[in-house]
Amino acid sequence: MKKLIALLLATALSFSLTACGSSESDMDYVKDKGTLVVGITDFEPMDYKDDSGNWIGFDADMAKAFAESLGVEAEFVEIDWDNKIMELDGKTIDCVWNGMTLTDEVTSSMDCSNAYCNNAQIVIVPADKADQYQTTDSLSDLTFAVEAGSAGEEQVSALGLEYTAVKAQADALMEVAAGTSDAAVIDSLMAAAMVGEGTSYENLTYTVGLNSEEYGVGFRKGSDLVDALNQFFADSYKDGSMLECAQTYGVQAAIIEQ
Amino acid sequence: MEQIAEQLPIVVHSLNIGFLQTLKLFFITLAGAFPLGLVIAFGSMSRFRPLSYLTKTIVWIVRGTPLMIQLLIVYYFPGLVLHNPVWGGGETGRFAAASVSFILNYACYFSEIYRGGIQGVPIGQEEAGLVLGMTKRQIFFHVTLLQMIKRIVPPMSNEIITLVKDTSLARIIALQEIIWAGQAFMKGSQGISGAIWPLFFTAVYYLICNGALTILLDRLEKKLDYFK
Repeated sequence: MKKLIALLLATALSFSLTACGSSESDMDYVKDKGTLVVGITDFEPMDYKDDSGNWIGFDADMAKAFAESLGVEAEFVEIDWDNKIMELDGKTIDCVWNGMTLTDEVTSSMDCSNAYCNNAQIVIVPADKADQYQTTDSLSDLTFAVEAGSAGEEQVSALGLEYTAVKAQADALMEVAAGTSDAAVIDSLMAAAMVGEGTSYENLTYTVGLNSEEYGVGFRKGSDLVDALNQFFADSYKDGSMLECAQTYGVQAAIIEQ
Repeated sequence: MEQIAEQLPIVVHSLNIGFLQTLKLFFITLAGAFPLGLVIAFGSMSRFRPLSYLTKTIVWIVRGTPLMIQLLIVYYFPGLVLHNPVWGGGETGRFAAASVSFILNYACYFSEIYRGGIQGVPIGQEEAGLVLGMTKRQIFFHVTLLQMIKRIVPPMSNEIITLVKDTSLARIIALQEIIWAGQAFMKGSQGISGAIWPLFFTAVYYLICNGALTILLDRLEKKLDYFK
């Protein structure tokens, strides 16, 4: 029994010892590992899988190119969006690169790259009621569904609207489709792909844009990878490779000049 | 309906991959928690006080906190607090962290069931063994353990069936089990977006799996009926 306790203590001790020694820069850390672990969610057209299961998309392709410029390999890991800060600080990923809106939550907990893409939060309503809700003022008697912690939630709470926070933007759409909420607020890039004729939500449509916002890439606080990425963005904007990549995925109109 | 028929092969393929993860986690948890539970049961029954207090405290903590929190702690604590992300970011690390959490959690529940089973075997059985000149070891493995197994099958069946469904909690650390796979089609994945039914369809997998388990465990219970 004493041996057992000794063993337990020894394990605990070795755990705390390995905890020391993490003064190297983020860049060196990534280069030593040889991989840039990119935290993503399945989010067309930024990060999604092709038919053979490889990650593609505007963000995914840019991340691969950035990793290559560092001489490392990009490894994509699907994360739970709510846990992105924990994933980053816990070093289970090295960056969040997934059409991430630069909100206060994001900029206060991560060091972010320059914005590279425009987006807007827009209101989704059933198509047959769309003409009643074309202005921000007309929204006041609706109940909303928004993704918890999203830029959409920030907008509706700023406007003082009644809302329910759900797990994901797709869940917000489901709420409207099921009639449990009157309206939802989601990203315009996503709305373009998921709502209206020829999509799975044919009976829904989008009306008012609540704000405009920008996408950026998040790194750990104090990471020197931010400067490296800003430089990479500037270079790839200048030589046209960024726009070329954007054209592949139909997001060229939203790209921000670097 | 037509749309669903079109989507079905893609969804089923994806759910199968997810369910494979679910099953892997299920079997690894059982393989780890069965023996570990017995060790913990011995620990809490030990006459050596510090050991029994220590194990009882561990059981209290593990049973007294949500498994979801335990998953978050096991996976993120090493990186966040110890600055040493032992698990890594990939799928294997997430699976390993989930396995550790589930094994520890279920071992604690199993240990209490074992303890009840062992203590429920009449003392006369042990005495009879002593009279026959059996050693303590022989008595435990040939007399007590066998009768304990018969006694614990019904409560264990309960836990085992719960485990199948609890594996879905591992999605909190982004382990891509079947619920994750089903939810992916809501957000949009492999050209299908906004599809709600795959998430509900995952219930069919759980039902079939638990149906098969129920039949198996019933049979086991009947086989052990010769102890009376």
